[in-house]
Amino acid sequence: MSVRQVSVFLESRPGHLRRVLDAFEDADVNVRGYSASDTGDYGIVRFVVDDPVRALAVLTDIGAACSSSEVLCVRLDDEPGELARVMGVMADCGINVSYSYSLISTYIALSTPDLDRAEELLSGEPVELMSQADLAAPLAPQGV
Amino acid sequence: MADMTVKGAALAAAAAGDFSDLPIHNPSIECASRERIRAIQLEKLIAQVAWTYERVPWYRARMDALGVAPADIKTLDDVRKLPFTDKSALRDTFPYGLFAVPLDEVVELHASSGTTGKPIVVGYNESDMAMWADCIMRLVQMAGVVPGDRAQMAFGYGMFTGGFGLHYGLQKLGCMMIPAGSGNTERHIAMIEDYGTTVLVATPSYALHMCEVGERMGYDWERSTLRVGLFGGEPCPPGLKAEIESRMHIVCTDNYGLTEVMGPGVSGECLASRDMQHLAEDHFLWEVVDPETGEPVPDGEMGELVLTPLGKQAIPVLRYRTHDLTRVVVEPCACGRTTARMQKVRARSDDMLIIRGTNVFPSQVEDVLAGIDGVTPHYRIVVESADGLDRMTVHVELKPEAFSDSFEDMENLRRSIEEKLKGVLLVGVRVKLVEPGGIERSLGKTKHVEDLRK
Repeated sequence: MSVRQVSVFLESRPGHLRRVLDAFEDADVNVRGYSASDTGDYGIVRFVVDDPVRALAVLTDIGAACSSSEVLCVRLDDEPGELARVMGVMADCGINVSYSYSLISTYIALSTPDLDRAEELLSGEPVELMSQADLAAPLAPQGV
Repeated sequence: MADMTVKGAALAAAAAGDFSDLPIHNPSIECASRERIRAIQLEKLIAQVAWTYERVPWYRARMDALGVAPADIKTLDDVRKLPFTDKSALRDTFPYGLFAVPLDEVVELHASSGTTGKPIVVGYNESDMAMWADCIMRLVQMAGVVPGDRAQMAFGYGMFTGGFGLHYGLQKLGCMMIPAGSGNTERHIAMIEDYGTTVLVATPSYALHMCEVGERMGYDWERSTLRVGLFGGEPCPPGLKAEIESRMHIVCTDNYGLTEVMGPGVSGECLASRDMQHLAEDHFLWEVVDPETGEPVPDGEMGELVLTPLGKQAIPVLRYRTHDLTRVVVEPCACGRTTARMQKVRARSDDMLIIRGTNVFPSQVEDVLAGIDGVTPHYRIVVESADGLDRMTVHVELKPEAFSDSFEDMENLRRSIEEKLKGVLLVGVRVKLVEPGGIERSLGKTKHVEDLRK
């Protein structure tokens, strides 16, 4: 169970990320998490959304350079040591996490070259793997 | 030169308007009457056209097609009967197609970047080398250089004509050459101090860089032995030269030339008319034409400079279109010379850029990009000046399908474009990747170049 991440090439200049976000809003794409990193001149912005197929279509429509890839989405409990535990599983098994970023609440996205093995390892741990459908659902109200 | 310390009596007198102590290399030519200069030019033109027609099939075919024979050249105006030569002629005949002498007579080759992947190659025999040195000896003496001066070369040697061209001429005059070459500014400054350098040969932008590095090192330019700067390789705006003169406490002149007709030394600045350069008229027949029609412009008006080297044997180029815009005046100069003076070139009739002394055409960038998967043909060139050095950035548009969700892949693509551009342009550039559609499209003539240098 992995989720589809959508990545887009953006120049590091005012208004460029906003243009993408406006397009998402117009198409009713809900962003559940994102990471924006840069090299100075340009950056890659990665999104986890409720509907990656629609998000890719939106980006293609506006002529953006974009792609999609599989990442693991994991829900952690909101307490100290949770993140260390997940990363520790990867480290102990020699799996390199290329990058990782947090999503809504305590959801984090993980990119690794060895996705299946990472998934297998994590499913044996007390963390919850999230599916694309989970991401489409709104957050449960506080206290539930 | 008004507000600076001038070193040496002759330069001090020149600064005060008395040029009589500055040597004139060849007064029988440089101070000859207009009639005598024209007579020399005509005699040499007739011989040059015959030499070219007899020895270079490429020219013979073009002259035959125009129905003009060497015998038709009877006056200087008859030069207009001859075909023009453009840079493409040297490219199309690469490498030896325009040579008029057997290769075992050629003693040196030089090259400059061409408009596409192939460079422009030129050759010189002994006679050409002597002509070249004669031109250099004239212009360095206009700046007050004398035998015994110690001249430090900050041009790169290599295939570029600037390095060896100035080197041989200065050495023949009797200067001690210090062939430092390009790069390592701190070392250059240490050499000036250690060897007692009196003359610096550099591009003006590199001289300014050297000046600033010296100031940061605490080097006292006023007390330095350095007296004269000889500039070339790129246009030198008057403001830049004045700044270098006052900060480095030297007198600077710049010369004009181009590889296709010889190299540096076609004309040189004297200290009496600093916006102009004296043409070596016995070695080059000049014309000024309308760049659109190729017809001569009225005397003294702006147009494109067209040059026919006279007496140049290994590659005898006829009516070379320089694409440099200038005007030429023939009134005698206060320095004592009577040779015609061309206004320093500030503009061109084409889109050539000069980056750190190297000629760059936008079409070269276009050709490189056309051969790279993953980018569109759209581009923009931005040229800036930082610390006195030219910086060229090429904005290149990524194709949507070339995007990969990996900085490593993107950087590899970017760096591979930089490498390919450097291989063709012979000058380092920075590539900036922009989004698809990120380069502005226009319906008319697209503006590819933004030159922010002052």
